Amino acid sequence: MEHLTIDALRTMARAQGLELSDEDLAAVLPLVQVGRGLMESLAAVPLDDVEPSSQFRIF
Amino acid sequence: MTDLVWKSMVELARLIASKEVSPVEVVEAHLSRIAALDGTLKSYITVMGDSALQAAKAAEAAVTAGDGLGPLHGVPIGLKDVYCTKGVKTTGGSKILADWAPTEDATVVSRLTAAGAIVLGKLNMHEFAYGPEGLNPHYGTPWNPWDKATHRICGGSSSGSGAAVAAGIAPGALGSDTGGSIRIPASLCGITGIKPTYGRVSRAGVLPLAWSLDHVGPMCRTAADCALMLGAMAGYDPRDPTTSVLPVPDYLAALTGQVKGLRIGVLRAFYLESTDPAVRALVESAVKTLEGLGASAQEVNLELPKHAAAASYAVISPEAYAYHEGWIKTRPRDYGSDVRQRLLVGAFVSGADYLKGQRVRAVMRDEVDRALARLDVLVCATTPMPAPAVGQKEVRIGAENQPVRPNLIRFTRPFNMTGHPAASVPCGFTAEGLPAGLQIIGRPFDEATVLRVADAYQRATDWHTRRPPVAS
Repeated sequence: MEHLTIDALRTMARAQGLELSDEDLAAVLPLVQVGRGLMESLAAVPLDDVEPSSQFRIF
Repeated sequence: MTDLVWKSMVELARLIASKEVSPVEVVEAHLSRIAALDGTLKSYITVMGDSALQAAKAAEAAVTAGDGLGPLHGVPIGLKDVYCTKGVKTTGGSKILADWAPTEDATVVSRLTAAGAIVLGKLNMHEFAYGPEGLNPHYGTPWNPWDKATHRICGGSSSGSGAAVAAGIAPGALGSDTGGSIRIPASLCGITGIKPTYGRVSRAGVLPLAWSLDHVGPMCRTAADCALMLGAMAGYDPRDPTTSVLPVPDYLAALTGQVKGLRIGVLRAFYLESTDPAVRALVESAVKTLEGLGASAQEVNLELPKHAAAASYAVISPEAYAYHEGWIKTRPRDYGSDVRQRLLVGAFVSGADYLKGQRVRAVMRDEVDRALARLDVLVCATTPMPAPAVGQKEVRIGAENQPVRPNLIRFTRPFNMTGHPAASVPCGFTAEGLPAGLQIIGRPFDEATVLRVADAYQRATDWHTRRPPVAS
């Protein structure tokens, strides 16, 4: 996965109307990087034919 | 008067109905204790003293008049400050909503007060329920009553609920649980709490953290009290379309004290193997106690909970961001820095990742369902360690230093992802005098069995009757 930088994060934030301070960008960047790493780990989970599920709803 | 604050809710309801105790005495005893202790504990954000006393006088008049009484008639409760209360501030533990007074009650608040409960006040919490420590920069971080000398966390996000119930300044409280926020403070504060099945209890009028993961439930000192509260709260609500129409059983009647023949799965890999040895020994001793009561235990391993952190990241982050997007753009500095930064993460999760998280939830749920097809309940530690100090970043688990935050939530979060009911009951104390919790997980909508196991364990042990040093 491509390395994420503070500038890239700032651009992504601005694209959705978020003006973040340098302090927040620096704090959020490692959290996003950890999250992206976690998402890569999900490649090991077989999800063929699995539909998204979010709730029990028994009527 | 002092003894009244240590009575169970079941006992208080009985004493009030039989006219042995007045609801006014009960409420006054709790208000006095709040005044004496809560300057240190910081468990309440808003104390509703006047309205509580007014309700207690009305409850007393109803008893005297021989009116029909609800199952919680005259019994006080506290509400985590995510529950909307008509005309009373509902802050979410935030500065954002510091002065917001809703125009109607949450469904569960209406149901509990209709059952006769009297609201003592609104309880402190991690800001907007987004943190497992229970910290709060705006209203003060609640003090764990089990350590008088060191400011330890209560666990979160329902930290005020945990502290108040443990310290005898509320006999029972509402918590909410998106990744463990009922069970973690129950474990760290030495009380009992249950996160019911997703859909068992209405979320209408409850400030959301993540809609598809949020659960509403009681936190009390005993499993029987949780059964009493849950019975009054549960059931279909047209205001919450995710609630189930399945009938609500009589949870108190299910507490037979019997677990003979019950099949218990002890979660080993991922769970007990990565639990602090002292906590692990207490959990294993609790399993032996249940075996001594006639249950059978076998080890079971789940493979998918190791992916719960990733799936949770994909789901909770964008759901939380979606709810807060307006405020985070216009009032970012009104959030505490930890919650603001965690909320912002959700802006960088793609739709595809969100749905991948939801797909992983489906396979996780299938795996737990398969285990529970041959077992009645699963058990493990609620948290891998006892309460750390406020500000502590790492904790020693076995031979390794581990970060506090992800470990607090490690064992509870999988069952928010799957929606299964899960309770925490106190199962002993470490050498430092800090409580540990046993987590009991059941089949969907089988809270009755979870509570039956918890209650049977409490009939055989006395951990839940111990009183913390701050409250002695």
